[in-house]
Formats: sequence, structure tokens, C-alpha cells
Amino acid sequence: MRIHARCTQVVSEKQKVGNQNIPEVHGPRWTYSRRGYALAQSLRQLKRFKLASLGTLLVLGITLSLPFILYFASATLNTLSQRSLQGESLTAYLDTAISDLDGAQLAKTWHAQPGIERAEYISREQALAMLSEDDDIRAAIDVLGVNPLPGAIVLYPQTNNINAGDIESMARSFGDLPEVARVQLDLRWVRRLEAVVSLVKWIGGLLAAFLTLTALLVIANTIRLELSRRRAEMEVASLLGASTHFMNRPILYTGALYGFLGGLLSCIIALITLNAISTPADELSSLYQSTFTLTMPEPSQILLVLGVSIILGLIGAVSTLNHPSRLLTHNG
Amino acid sequence: MIAFEHVSLEYRPGRYALKDVSFKLDSGSFTFLTGHSGAGKSSLLRLTARLAIPTNGDIQVGNIVYSRLGKRQEAALRQQMGIVFQDNQLLHDRSVFDNVAFPLIIGGYRFDDIKVRVNAALSKVGLSDKAREQPITLSGGEQQRVGIARAVVARPKLLLADEPTGNLDSEISAEIMQLLMHFNASGVTVLFATHDETLLNAFAYPRLKLAKGELDVAGRSVIERAPAFKGRAANANTRKVHASG
Repeated sequence: MRIHARCTQVVSEKQKVGNQNIPEVHGPRWTYSRRGYALAQSLRQLKRFKLASLGTLLVLGITLSLPFILYFASATLNTLSQRSLQGESLTAYLDTAISDLDGAQLAKTWHAQPGIERAEYISREQALAMLSEDDDIRAAIDVLGVNPLPGAIVLYPQTNNINAGDIESMARSFGDLPEVARVQLDLRWVRRLEAVVSLVKWIGGLLAAFLTLTALLVIANTIRLELSRRRAEMEVASLLGASTHFMNRPILYTGALYGFLGGLLSCIIALITLNAISTPADELSSLYQSTFTLTMPEPSQILLVLGVSIILGLIGAVSTLNHPSRLLTHNG
Repeated sequence: MIAFEHVSLEYRPGRYALKDVSFKLDSGSFTFLTGHSGAGKSSLLRLTARLAIPTNGDIQVGNIVYSRLGKRQEAALRQQMGIVFQDNQLLHDRSVFDNVAFPLIIGGYRFDDIKVRVNAALSKVGLSDKAREQPITLSGGEQQRVGIARAVVARPKLLLADEPTGNLDSEISAEIMQLLMHFNASGVTVLFATHDETLLNAFAYPRLKLAKGELDVAGRSVIERAPAFKGRAANANTRKVHASG
């Protein structure tokens, strides 16, 4: 029959072609493993839709930059109120019955207590000498005829991991001692600063949470688009016996890739921003005679931020996946 | 061996794509699956490939009984089959080589194996010189040959062809038929769905004829009782199609 004759001719043609040398026509070796394929597909999609990918990455970078700026600056904010306590002291006025010897001994004892950086004893005579430098006060004391001033111990608390509340409670505990007549402490402005810092941290935290959620939605939406673009490939993969893991892997890699690149971009934006505001911050600090400086993030902080970004990307991808392979398999 | 036992596929209450279909095909056989459009040919192939789940009845391919198949095993089952589609289902964003390599990547083959197998499959379908091309640049017949190369590259024991010549002229159809016969000669079981009378008349292979979702005993099929699945009662309606045609 004519159709059989044609078949025989086709076979001989195919055998001829089959015997020829076969050129190397494949892509890079790594792209033919399951994981390599997934990564190659993710990178290919980024490359294929350059403008759309760049737009998404810019949105992610800008969105994530504020939370990361706040995170990078949080260490500085934490130290701000502590640094404001530097040089602060509380003065414990001793009972007039306490002798200089006992007062000096008490200062030594208190110095040994935890949380105390330094304790200086000021005797009644030293206090009198200091006040006598002012002529009017010296005249007043001369009229009295006796030294009315008590001995005092000036305590300088350690400012590491301590706040105004801790110092106030320290003042109360010293004030309760029988040797102490009164403790003087004025930390109202530190309290105000702490309240402002706390408010800034709360607002910043909420903003960071909203912006992180926005980034998550952006990633999820991008992955949803990616899924629709890859639908044909996923259907074919399903028909060829691909597992759910195989079909999901490129999507997860895409999510992680967007997270990583978005995080990297946001780190760059954050570093540029911090660098730009560090000079005015230093000027402000010097106006208040403060040692406060805006510190740049540590490499470990940057790595943490990148890790968090990747996890955000993965969460965005996972939230979108919802086992599409199974839907394709049984509904298609 | 493919065996259907009282298989029905109901896509809407009271509306059947397949109704109470029972038959058995031997390993290494070549069988035409015939019937008009909408007769249920594609549904039967989809059930065989576990791309759909029967409403009633059970299917066995080799030693695998589908009702005992876990979700995870379904994908592994399909890796042991080759499927050729009428619209070839090629991916147009990659080369012919990468299209044919796709099932092997899914199967987790090593790169060196992939290279050898893809080149061998393309050689068998006469497309070695087109490996670098994009499918869109190929003719319809060439695209279908790429589809066949992809279906056989993992050396499946069962090849399901759903109207693979449906969009092709008679000469190209003959080429495709020749290729499938070639694979059948090497021991692959072929189930070939078609309604092309020219092709059916040219090749004296046994036929499973479907009409309105039911198996039609008319035509050239020779049908007899087949043994029931292990552990199940034999049923008088279970039929066997001989490879002798």
C-alpha cells in the first residue's frame, strides 16, 4: 500500500539522520538537575520580564527600606536614652551624725554594689569649702558660726542597660537607708526623652509591620502573575509526571529570589539614607553636647535583614501556591 | 497490561464521559482506540494516565491497581508512561532539546544520561539536526515528532497517543504511525486514539471502539472475558482485546 511505502521511506531517512554526529545543543550542565532547573527557570523569568521584574524589585526595595532603616537605627535609638544618662549622678545627703570616716567607708561600700560606676564622698568641710567660694554664701555661713552642711556621697550609676526608672528606684533604695537623710535626683528631661524614643519606636514598629505586610502582598501578587505565566509549563509538567515539589520549586525560588534582591536593594537604600542623615544627626547631637552618633549597620545585621527578606519572599510564594499542581492534575 | 473493570466517569450527575467500560490489553500490544468526537476516547486515556479519577470501577496498569495508589505515587506512575497529544503540548520558550529533556529532568536523571537519551530519541524521530531549534520554527509534523521523542525519551512501557495525527496530513500521519509502530516493535504497549478512517483501514491492529462513552463490540475488535483483578470477583462484562486484531 502507498502509505506503507511512505513509512519505509521515512524510516530509512531517519536512520540516515540518526547516524550523523550530534552537535552539543544543550544549555549549562547545572540547569538539567531538578534544583538547577528550578533556579534557571526563576532567573529566566526575571530576565524575560526585565521591566516588570525591575519595577517589582524597586517597589520591594523602597517598601522594605523603611523597616530596615528603623531596624538599623534601633540600636542607636536604644542607646540614645542610656547615653543621655551618662554623667548623671544622684546625691545622697548623709545624716549629720555620720562622721567623715564613716561617710568615706559608706562610699566605699556603695561603690562595691552592682550598678554603681563610681561613688565619691564629699565631707562636710569639702562641701563648706566649695560653697565658700561664693562670697555671699560664705558670709551667711560665717553668721551661723557652725558648718550646717551634711556630708554627701555622689553616686554615678553604670549606664549600660539602665534607664531612668532604674536610677529612680536606686535613689529610693538609698533614701531608705538610716544613714541617708535625703537623696537628690532630677531626671525629668531624661524621662521625657525616653517617652519620645518609646513613641518613635512604637510608630516605627507599626509602620515597619504595615510596610512588611505590603512587601509580602507585593511578592504574593508577583508570584500569582508568575503562576499564570507558567501555567502551560506546569500543565505539561503535570502530564509528564512531575511531583508537586517539582512544580512548586521554581515558584518558591522565584519568591526567595525576589525577597533576596528586594532585601539587597532595600539595604542599599537604607545605607545611603543613613549615611545621608548621619551628618545632620551629628550636628544635632553636638548642639545638645551629646556623644550620640548614628551608627552604620554591622555586617551581621545586613545578613539578618537579607535572611528576613528571603523568608518574606518564601512566605509570599507559599501563600500563593495552594497546591496548583493538584488542581491542574484533577481539574484539567 | 492495561485492564479496566466497570469504569465510569461521570462529569455531571447523570452525564457520563465513560459508562461501565471493561477491557484488558496485553503488554506489548498496539491498539487503536476509536470513536467519534465526544465518544470518550480522551477520557479513557486520561483515566489510564491517572489524569482523571473514575467515578466507579477500577483500573490496573501492569501491577499497579489505581484504587490503591497514593497521591504521591500518581506522579511516579505517569513518569512510566509516554503521552502524545494532538496539540503536542510543546513548550515554546525552550529548544527542542530542552523539550525532550523535560521528562528526564522531572525524573531526576543525571545530565550525562539526559544528553545520551535525548540525542537518541531525537535521532529516532529524525530530528537530531533540529535540537537547537525552537519548536515554533518547526512544521506541524516535526513538532509532533518532538512530542513523540519527549514521550519515549524515558523509555516508557506504555505509550498513550491522543489523536496525534489529528492535525496532520496523510503523509505526515503515516510518518507518525511508523514511529509508533517502531516503538511498539521494541516492546512498548501503544494505545492510539484516533478517528482517522484512512489510518484505521491501513493498519490491521485491534480496536477498542467507543460510542457515547460505552464500549462498542462492533468493528474489528475481538472481545472475550478477561480475568478479574487479583482479589476481586470476575465479571461477565470484563472484556479482552487481542493483539491479533
